[in-house]
Amino acid sequence: MSFIILIAAGLLVPIFYRNNIVIAKIIAVLAFILAAYFVFKGESLNSIFPYFVADDATKLMEFVLLATLAAVSLALTGFERPLISQMLFLAGASLAFLETNNFFMFIVLFEVIAIISYILVANIRNFYNAEGAIKAFIAGAVASGIILLGFALFSFTTDSFIYSEMNVSGKFTLIAEAIMLAGIFYKLTVVPMHGWAADAYSQVNHAAAAILSGVIKSVVLFATFKAFYKFLIAYPLATVLIFSFFAILTMTLANFMALWQKRISKILAYSSIAHSGYALIPFAAAASVYSYAGILYYAVAYIFMQTSVFLLLNDLRRELGVKYLDDIKGLYKKAPLHSLLFTIQLFSLAGIPLLAGFLSKAVAFYAGVDAGLWIIVLIALLNSALAVGYYVWIIKHIYFDEPKNNGEVIQMSTGSMIGQLILLAGTIYFGIVAGDIMNATISF
Amino acid sequence: MVAVDIIFAPILLSALVYFLTRGAQHITKYIALGWFVVLFIIALNWYHMLPEDGGFIFLGNYLSVPQFGFELTLQIDALSVAMLLLTAALLILVVLTSWNEKKQAAYFSLLILFSGPIFGVFMTTNVLWFFMFWELTLVPMLFLVGIWGAENRVYAAIKFFIYTHVFAMFMFVGFYLLYKQTGYWDLTLIKEATLATPALIWWLMFLGFAAKLPVFPFHTWLPDAHVQAPSSISVLLAGVLLKMGAYGLIRFTVELMPITTLMFAKWMLVFGLITTFYAGFLAIYERHIKKMVAYSSISHMGLVVVAISTMTYEGLSAALFEMIGHALVISPLFLIAGWLHHKTHTWYMDEMGGIMKKAPYASAIFILAGMAALGLPGTMGFVGELTIIISAVKSWGWWIAVIAFAGLISAGYIIWAVRRAIHGPMSPLVEKADFSMSLAEKLALAIYAVLIVYFGINPQPIFDLANKAFSFLGGM
Repeated sequence: MSFIILIAAGLLVPIFYRNNIVIAKIIAVLAFILAAYFVFKGESLNSIFPYFVADDATKLMEFVLLATLAAVSLALTGFERPLISQMLFLAGASLAFLETNNFFMFIVLFEVIAIISYILVANIRNFYNAEGAIKAFIAGAVASGIILLGFALFSFTTDSFIYSEMNVSGKFTLIAEAIMLAGIFYKLTVVPMHGWAADAYSQVNHAAAAILSGVIKSVVLFATFKAFYKFLIAYPLATVLIFSFFAILTMTLANFMALWQKRISKILAYSSIAHSGYALIPFAAAASVYSYAGILYYAVAYIFMQTSVFLLLNDLRRELGVKYLDDIKGLYKKAPLHSLLFTIQLFSLAGIPLLAGFLSKAVAFYAGVDAGLWIIVLIALLNSALAVGYYVWIIKHIYFDEPKNNGEVIQMSTGSMIGQLILLAGTIYFGIVAGDIMNATISF
Repeated sequence: MVAVDIIFAPILLSALVYFLTRGAQHITKYIALGWFVVLFIIALNWYHMLPEDGGFIFLGNYLSVPQFGFELTLQIDALSVAMLLLTAALLILVVLTSWNEKKQAAYFSLLILFSGPIFGVFMTTNVLWFFMFWELTLVPMLFLVGIWGAENRVYAAIKFFIYTHVFAMFMFVGFYLLYKQTGYWDLTLIKEATLATPALIWWLMFLGFAAKLPVFPFHTWLPDAHVQAPSSISVLLAGVLLKMGAYGLIRFTVELMPITTLMFAKWMLVFGLITTFYAGFLAIYERHIKKMVAYSSISHMGLVVVAISTMTYEGLSAALFEMIGHALVISPLFLIAGWLHHKTHTWYMDEMGGIMKKAPYASAIFILAGMAALGLPGTMGFVGELTIIISAVKSWGWWIAVIAFAGLISAGYIIWAVRRAIHGPMSPLVEKADFSMSLAEKLALAIYAVLIVYFGINPQPIFDLANKAFSFLGGM
């Protein structure tokens, strides 16, 4: 039911939003709430279509996803209205993507989400998003090709595509897995397949970037873990080697690149890439019982904070023309509420406690220690301490520097405020209460 | 219920206070003062509840996640109560000494925000929550140093934040490995589960605490942060944040893994000795008055490490006494150093001189606290240093009496500082400065002076606490 509601709302919304974005927003939010209700009742897709199963963890991820998308849709302005219907389609596709238990469906839905993401990056035009959009599209197309190659290879060796029944001990399975992962790493922006993301995230409209870097990445992370779990367990040594290597490479390189940047959106883009690196640690630690909780926690925490920072940046760019670090000097005087929320979410990204960013790292990295990878965890923790450098650098510009010119104090629009409060509530709730996620993953 | 409230309430309270009193900034300090007095009374109440034979008072379990063994367990023993009392008292005095601070709403709400996690650090026995509170104390400090500090404040604030954060990460990996080995996050349970802990865990933890204490060579953040911070915040940094390091060292090495600590005690001793002497010599060399005080602070923390390294009842009691003594002695020194800079607009002692004639009250307290720092009998410094020397000689042999020279070095820099800044011919800068002091500041300094002398003459209350805290080592 949820799937049908979301797709129907996605088709319905374009009729309204040309004249009145408020009605479109209301429809979208209602659709998200209804979808969440049916997810709660256990009637999202599994009651209608085969190959879809929702366990507790998946449901939790779906609630978080729907809440985040509702927050994003509330925060949009008229100029960004095409995003509303795309988000509804994205929500529908993501629910299916998260719930599927069939590897074939996984590949198909991965492509569907990829196509939605190409539309997201391209359709709100500004002076320079063409470059990012083309890069995202070409990189994505290459990734799709690579994934299909791997999938073709894999389909020779297995009789069933149901996750639990797949045959992962075939002759070419390891190579097939590696090839598929190479494609998926493009989407997860793992170094060295990250080049497109730094441009795409920073150049497209920031609301679209919020969806692209926050929502889609979290969904892909979680669904990929579920789909590949059997592979990860079947080849323990390869898993540890591949994922540890890419985790270290990604976070280290992205953090150093972020330290160099002057443009805020680029800092956030590289921070997003670095977070992909941390999120690979539960993959490497698939042998640990905490790995599933780790990846779920990471996806949940990351979706709130990353979406929130990009949305705030979107507001600031629209109201104050903020692009570079110099533009946010003394921002706390001009936009006190934006500054406060931005700071809290940045602290969360940096992994300061009582915010979701900390506990998600704590659980995800514990999975690593539990699997015996404590050296990699130490490197990750030192990396996240290094990352504090650029997060605090942004905060330094906001609070410690004097503004260049005294402008008007800008207010936050009501929709934006509600959206931000939803995201803030998520960040704080999952920063203090770890029980929900641990309980949800216990049955895995 | 009170226990968990006083940790989390400040977060809400500070946000509320900030937004409600932005229009009437002068009210905020009264709210902060009231809140800290409440904290002090609660801590005092726990002090009276302490069982005679040591051990923990159980205050409750919250936010339980059984699958991960993770819950906010609040338990306090005499050591925590000593730290809580010290923290609450210092917070009250800090409000008094920052009575006329700029941007009061933000300043005092950050202080209120700080009071939550710092209480949490001393109250919880859950290692993960301990770490969370430990990290959280950095956030208000970042803003307090970065916004209200002196000229180079931003550099100092960010350096402080990143430096302590990086070293906390080593500690965190140590905690992880401890959990993996024992399956518990709770200190009291871990203690029962392990006999010998791998050296790796010990070193990872020691690094984390050593950077906070700070121990040479991890001390470089401190002179920057303490010098650039506003004086009242230097008091908190020296009086409370450094104590977190010493507290952690006692709790997590001596109490938690005594056998491993025994193996590495001599390393701890070496680090402590080097810190004491190195920082002491640097203090002699300094012209900068606040830096001199900061190095003197490091030097005294080195003595605390020496005392902890003995791992005996006497040593730890001496360490606890010196921790409290250090907090009370170094605070007026920082306050007056900062106040002198504020009035004369110079940091350098050789540009001051003759302050005694224009500001006799502040000078007298500076001299008193200085004398306590160099260990004059009748002050807290004497009791602390004497007990440390006695306990160290008992454990490590007679040669350790060389740390008595540390007192000599402090005599060097303190007396020379007094000679240069307080006495001597009056410099032009001092001549034209206006040395008025608010009543609140005078009151706070007087309280410090009274406490230094009171506990110097009557140290028994603190040793009673130490007796309860370290009775497991076979006290009297």
